[in-house]
Amino acid sequence: MGLDLIKHLRTGVTPYVLLGISLLALAYLLSAATQDSSRLNDLFLLIFGLGIAILALLIGILGRSLFRLYRDFKTNKEGARLTLRLVSLFALLILVSTTIVYSFSIHFLHRGINSWFDVKVEQALNDSLELSRTAFGIRMRTLLRQTRMMTGLLSELPSSDLNHNIRELTQLSGAIELSLWTMGGQLITTSFENPDLIIPSRPNEAIFHQLEQQEDYIGLDPDHDNLQLRAAVRLPIKKANQEERFLQVIFPVNAQLSSLGKTVQTAYTDYKELSYLRKPLITVFTLTLSLIVLLTLLASIWFAIWISRRIVEPLQELAAGTQAVASGNYNTKLRSASGHDEIGFLVRSFNQMTQRLTQARHATQNSHRQLEQQTNYLSAVLSSLSSGVITIDNERQLRTANLASSKILHVNLQQRLESVIDKLGENHPHVRPLTQLIEHHLTHGDDWHQQVELQHKKGLQSLMCRGTLLPNNAGWVIVFDDVTTLLQAQRNAAWGEVAKRLAHEIKNPLTPIQLSADRLQHKYLPLLPEDQTHTLTKLTGTIISQVEAMKEMVNDFSDYARNPGLQLQPQAIGQLIKEVLALYQSNPNHQFTLLNSTEDITLNLDSTRIRQVLHNLFKNAIEASEEAQLAVDIILSYHTLDLDGHQYLEITLSDHGPGIPDDMVNTLFEPYATNKTKGTGLGLAIVKKIIEEHHGQVWAENTEPSGACIIIRLPLEDAIP
Amino acid sequence: MVFIMHAFVIARLKIIFWLLLFSSTVHAQTFEVASAQISKIGNGYVLNAEIKYPLTPRVLEAIVNGVPIIFEQEFELVKSTYLLGNYWQWNETLWSADIRHELRYHALSQQYVLQAIDTNSQRNFPTLSVALQALGQIKDLTLPPEYLEDTENLTLQLRSGIDLYALPTPMRPGALISSKWQLTSPWVDAQWD
Repeated sequence: MGLDLIKHLRTGVTPYVLLGISLLALAYLLSAATQDSSRLNDLFLLIFGLGIAILALLIGILGRSLFRLYRDFKTNKEGARLTLRLVSLFALLILVSTTIVYSFSIHFLHRGINSWFDVKVEQALNDSLELSRTAFGIRMRTLLRQTRMMTGLLSELPSSDLNHNIRELTQLSGAIELSLWTMGGQLITTSFENPDLIIPSRPNEAIFHQLEQQEDYIGLDPDHDNLQLRAAVRLPIKKANQEERFLQVIFPVNAQLSSLGKTVQTAYTDYKELSYLRKPLITVFTLTLSLIVLLTLLASIWFAIWISRRIVEPLQELAAGTQAVASGNYNTKLRSASGHDEIGFLVRSFNQMTQRLTQARHATQNSHRQLEQQTNYLSAVLSSLSSGVITIDNERQLRTANLASSKILHVNLQQRLESVIDKLGENHPHVRPLTQLIEHHLTHGDDWHQQVELQHKKGLQSLMCRGTLLPNNAGWVIVFDDVTTLLQAQRNAAWGEVAKRLAHEIKNPLTPIQLSADRLQHKYLPLLPEDQTHTLTKLTGTIISQVEAMKEMVNDFSDYARNPGLQLQPQAIGQLIKEVLALYQSNPNHQFTLLNSTEDITLNLDSTRIRQVLHNLFKNAIEASEEAQLAVDIILSYHTLDLDGHQYLEITLSDHGPGIPDDMVNTLFEPYATNKTKGTGLGLAIVKKIIEEHHGQVWAENTEPSGACIIIRLPLEDAIP
Repeated sequence: MVFIMHAFVIARLKIIFWLLLFSSTVHAQTFEVASAQISKIGNGYVLNAEIKYPLTPRVLEAIVNGVPIIFEQEFELVKSTYLLGNYWQWNETLWSADIRHELRYHALSQQYVLQAIDTNSQRNFPTLSVALQALGQIKDLTLPPEYLEDTENLTLQLRSGIDLYALPTPMRPGALISSKWQLTSPWVDAQWD
């Protein structure tokens, strides 16, 4: 607390107030001490010393302040320049004004004191003194003569009559005092005009000395307030061996003359003394004035530094605050200036400004966050869409693309953002039809809706595209769906309907036709001549076999169209494949290889129908190879597969046949999609149907250098461990 | 050669040093108690002393210009008690007196007026030297008999000076700091007859 108080006293306004008060007190004391009638007269030197001490203290403080100012200026501290400029201005102002006042004061002081004295007055005083002396001189000569006469008279008288005669002489001459002395200094006799007095005024040594020189003495004798005339004359020696004596007579001076003489004396002495004191007086006044002026000057400069710092301080803070704001710190808050002046207003305005800035920044951040959230929301929606969504700007650059778009087009579009749409087509030939379509519609500038076919390894892909102009002409948004499966399903459904009708409409008349042909042969064969029996047999045999073939075909159709419930049972797939293979191994020209047969995988399936799948596939492969007159070499493999977190059983069947023509890859599994001479064209369609009934997938790929590969993928979710 | 030069310089410096030392003492020629004697007259003791007042030109100038100067003559009767042989003594001032005279120049009569402040008695002298001489003569100053019953270890010391505080105000600061006004004599012990 004490330290706080000291700190407060050191830093606050207090030292300045204290200094001001002490300076005022000092100035008062100094001025009092220089006055004649003051008690402080004797303390002048002490007070002056105190002034010098305060001056030294001030010089120290001022030196420190100036040094700090210089240091701040050198280190380029904020506000130092302005402070220095203000201090310089203040100091200049103070110096100039004080110097003017000081020099005028000194001038007036000298002139004022010197004006007390005048040559004419001095001369007049000297003259009046001289006049007085002359006036007294005339009277003195008269009195000296009178005294000489008295001594002549006394020298004639015998010693015994001296006392009496002297008393008479006193009364006659009007003297105050008559005394007779020996030259040795011994009083012989005396007489006073005033009977109260008994002791005569003893002549001083100088009178004795003068008398010894045989000279009579007459002189003015100041006696306290009065003037007297003292005459001393030696008595003539009448007899030998007579002791030398002298008479001293003190005469009064008449009242008027005495009073005049006194006035002249006083005036002269006072004037002389004053004239003599002029120099020290001027010195003392000058010193005092100089001290006070110096003290005031230094204190003012100190105060100027203080006030400059006070003025600059808020500006300095303001500068620092502005810098902080410029560097991005909007939370800067200045200590609110208490003043109601422009600087206080400035500081308050600054604080308001930073507050507003902070608010604005918060608002911006909020809206930014909202925007981000919205974007995230949108992208989440987009990424969860199964449709591909891309946007293209007016420079034909790809701006955004969702996950589904990459999946559908089999191109990682996220890595191709900002690339021109043409380039995309050049780099990925299989998407070129789409890019060309987009290009075409971009130039026409209207919403559009069109289907496009893309060709890639797995076959044709049908995309349904919709282009929409973005608001403000900011580009296009293009949405596309993979409708391949949908189209296929539509086709499959159509085929199913056809098959069902065929089976129903055709199967019914076939049996009567066959029975009729049979009866025709049995009935008319014996009746015909030998040479024609052969023809009948051949014709009826043809009818029966063709009807049989038609029946088969219709059965196939009905198989295809039939949609019975699956008889799902746990079945080891390896076992199943081996059982089917066993039926084909009788032909030595047919080579079958089963890979990965070490472990078996058990899953729920309808074994009868899967058997049919395998038969159809084997038959198809053998027929394809034989038709191309190539060796039948079929490789089978089955294995589990992890894909997108799901487990699958993958069965591949590859041959070394001629492969699948490119235009058939996509429609291979559709009914009548065949280039073979034999068969109904429903084998692979049935395969696909059965596999899809098992929630699986089947597709075909051509292998290098020749041959085809059928891939079946069955989900293993229900696999039995 | 160098050595001789060096010695020469040192000798000169020594001379300057001594000159400086003496010049200060010569300048500050103070008043001086030339003699002081205590004589027994009857049952009492009286002091006879002679004090010399060599005035500096500064003081003379002031007197000539009509400034009254107060001369002080101080007397102290000191009783010394020896506590540890001669090594340490206890001094007790039994009595002290201060006789003051004002000396001023009376221009009209061209006399130097010497006035005792206490008794208001006045003497006039035509010259300053006579006046100072008269001032310096202390004749038969009666000492207080109550302290003089036992003169063992009793000392009367005296000194004289100018009362600077009696000077006119403007002169005082200058006089107080100037050596030309510091003329007070040292204390001198009076001798017992």
